[in-house]
Amino acid sequence: MTDIKAIEEAGSYVAAQAGKAGATYADFRAVAITAEAVRLSDGKPDLINRKVTFGYGIRALADGAWGFAATPDLTKASVSDSLREAVQIARSSAQLAPRPAQLAPLSPVHGDYKTPLKTDPFSLALKEKVQYLQHLDELLKATQGINSTGTFLDFRREEKWFYSSAGSVVTQNIVHSGGGFTAAAKRSRREVGERSYPTSGGQYASGGYEIITALGMESACPEIAQQALALLDAPSLTERRTNLILAGDLVSLQLHESVGHPLELDRVFGSERNFSGTSFATPEKLGNLKYASSIVTIKSDPTAPGGLGSFGFDDEGVLAHAATLIDKGLLVNYLSSRETAARVNKDSTGAMRAESWTDLPLVRMTNINLTPGSGTLEQLIADTEDGVLISTPDKWSIDDRRENFQLGGEIAWEIKGGKRGQIFKNAVYSGSTVDFWNSCDRICGPEEYRIWGTPSCGKGQPGQNMRTGQGASPARFRNVKVGQPA
Amino acid sequence: MPDPSDQILSSLDAALKRSAADATELVYVGTRDATTRFAENGIHQNMLSSDGRVIVRLMKDGRVAVSSTNDLSVSGLDRAIADALEIASFLAPDAAFPGFVKSDTAPVVNAFDPAMDSCPPERRAQAVSHIVDQAKPAGVQASGLFRLTTSRVAIANSAGTRQYHQDTVAELSVSASDDPTFGQGWSTGVSHKIDQLDPKELGRIAIDKAVRSRNPQTLPAGEYTVILEPAAVGQLLLFLGFLAFSGKSFAEGRGIFSGKIGELVTGANITVHDDPFLAEFTGMPFDYEGVPKRKMALIENGVARGVAHDSRSAKLAGVESTGHALPADNPRGAYPKNLVMAPGDATLDDMIASTSMGLLITHFWYINYLNPMKAQVSGSTRDGTFLIENGAITKPVRNLRATPTILEAFAKADQIGKDRVVYPQYSAAMYVPAMKIAGMTFVEDTE
Repeated sequence: MTDIKAIEEAGSYVAAQAGKAGATYADFRAVAITAEAVRLSDGKPDLINRKVTFGYGIRALADGAWGFAATPDLTKASVSDSLREAVQIARSSAQLAPRPAQLAPLSPVHGDYKTPLKTDPFSLALKEKVQYLQHLDELLKATQGINSTGTFLDFRREEKWFYSSAGSVVTQNIVHSGGGFTAAAKRSRREVGERSYPTSGGQYASGGYEIITALGMESACPEIAQQALALLDAPSLTERRTNLILAGDLVSLQLHESVGHPLELDRVFGSERNFSGTSFATPEKLGNLKYASSIVTIKSDPTAPGGLGSFGFDDEGVLAHAATLIDKGLLVNYLSSRETAARVNKDSTGAMRAESWTDLPLVRMTNINLTPGSGTLEQLIADTEDGVLISTPDKWSIDDRRENFQLGGEIAWEIKGGKRGQIFKNAVYSGSTVDFWNSCDRICGPEEYRIWGTPSCGKGQPGQNMRTGQGASPARFRNVKVGQPA
Repeated sequence: MPDPSDQILSSLDAALKRSAADATELVYVGTRDATTRFAENGIHQNMLSSDGRVIVRLMKDGRVAVSSTNDLSVSGLDRAIADALEIASFLAPDAAFPGFVKSDTAPVVNAFDPAMDSCPPERRAQAVSHIVDQAKPAGVQASGLFRLTTSRVAIANSAGTRQYHQDTVAELSVSASDDPTFGQGWSTGVSHKIDQLDPKELGRIAIDKAVRSRNPQTLPAGEYTVILEPAAVGQLLLFLGFLAFSGKSFAEGRGIFSGKIGELVTGANITVHDDPFLAEFTGMPFDYEGVPKRKMALIENGVARGVAHDSRSAKLAGVESTGHALPADNPRGAYPKNLVMAPGDATLDDMIASTSMGLLITHFWYINYLNPMKAQVSGSTRDGTFLIENGAITKPVRNLRATPTILEAFAKADQIGKDRVVYPQYSAAMYVPAMKIAGMTFVEDTE
């Protein structure tokens, strides 16, 4: 059991003793994570796992540079040693710091945040969850030809205690729920039609078990199974230039890869150059770059209800708030930390996040939300004389400056005369970020809008997997290269 | 100082005795991670992190369940065992699970450097300074990672298996860049011993390449002969491995090698083994089920020879485990983590000299599946791509997106390097040579 009194004492100790230890600033972040994974393959348990981890990390700023030390050992001696170690590491960094770290101002905060939820997913018996997934397996296999299924549920609770030498004290209790399924029709190793629902890798959101019941998985089984069968004999999408309609989940991936990542300000300044790369969206473009067409407005919003990137405070203690990144097509801000924001003379957007207690916070996506336009997907299709609709991301690669990308989906439909036609498999499309977003000429409305969850966004060394959200409606892009050579 | 293996194994032994399951396996994984990252010619992230966790897998009345915890106290381990027992209580018996077996104690491999385990941050900073001191006068920005990791793994199961392994890994990766001119370079080194890494030399390689790749020219999309430096070969081999060498997908009939063992799958000059006892970079001598490892052939002279199994996929395939189990809370099944490609007889200079028109590629970025049924991937070149004309490097070129089908690409390898390097990625290590491939498709300029 988590020893809350010991955590509070440790946090208070670090906040009070940071100065004496030689730090001009320090923060203490303890994290307890409980995770439950229930994965079935063909109705049989593939992996049912419960995981708990607890520990804390101390971040210290000394001589203008950063140090970080993390351990699960909460004894007083260990807390004291870890503070000393973080300061020692910071001083060694200072020997070779690029510049003295300056932080955007932040008044001390006191707060307590809890994910709003109706049903705590950890209060439900695992047995019920297994039975639910077995029921989905039966529903999928009721369609003749479906001979392979995967079904899963994932739950995660993250409790956090944050103390800073500047006087902030924050506690948070964040709950995520996720689930999904795949249905496959297999004739041979190479002859497979496979579909996923609600999207590939499932849908994740912050909230309780009510998230799962609202996914509509049972009612979706027959249609998804039929699509898997149809993909068995579907042709591959061949190369052409055409109008491209992306389903909401692919707009989400597009936002993630070509807006969220390039606008991480640490990345813009080169922090990730050796691993995940840099960004074409360099600071002189701020306020000048027509990143997208004028119908495109994109915000970072960790306050959005239900987003997988929703929280009360980031891991520097910055209060969650919405920040416009792209305003009517114009680049106006970045995702930032206190240190990176100061370099562009702005306040932090509150995007400093760490996967776990072992990890240094990095600038990460929160919920990257594309403001909806109007109309339904069916109305958008009806408005499209000639084009392709692609859904359910299953392929993605983008260069290290986040410009050229090649993404794709499980399924595509030809659009002719405003109607869906031929189904395609192996549906890829490619483009260059700014050209692509400037070709966006229509975005569907609030009725199609959803914050899609990405449960494993990789960044940093050692690698961290962050949970992010992307709010998206289906959207249309003109004159896009789709498909592969025949 | 007490031997950590005694302390850890005693703790696991005691917990095994307390378990009410019919059979129990406990796997301890401990890490100490000291990482210094640098960018803009200076250190920007610097950390030390330590953790240890135990993964419980147990069987009760034929039901199998898994839990894990980093609370290594008696009560913490007991709670994790209780969690797994609760999960098992409502599951159906798992007929596909072969049970735990007693394995022989694996041979001890010497991959632990005490100097690394206690290395102070000042020494990491000193290594970075050797790189930055070269970058500044060259007018480039150095970035990178100097990471020192100590890992300890202990395994105890109720059948009597006891294994322990500890190792240290030093990884130094350097990027050099000159943004106004798009110059980019990169190098990497990895060793069990910190003294065997040469920061000055790794810095020199990356900086030299960044300087040489300034002002790259645009090339049209199309098919080019390519010379892949070892890291680029390693990246393709790693992704081939995900699709072809996994015993789980093989046994389920989904793998690239399913039904193809004994058949020619790529060029006759391609041989790949999994070898944890490689002198240049030894791996863990047993897997996460405690099964001792051995050198095994995956591709021999172009012929598919085998895949990596854990006990579960081995049972499904009707064979013995090859000793490639990953921790029990991983859903993907077994995977080989010490991939070794046999060398050829060419030097990199030989390959360049014999190329009338082609590309020299440092490595790729963001390789991902494009068509997994065919082992086709998509990824862009990175950190130095050069045009070769009439047997010599003539100019740097802008990055291009490649869409190779990996086995087909390896089948077109008409020269393979005689020198190999260890290339680490995604917790696997590849010992790979450079390779000249007669034709790889590039779909577009990436910038």
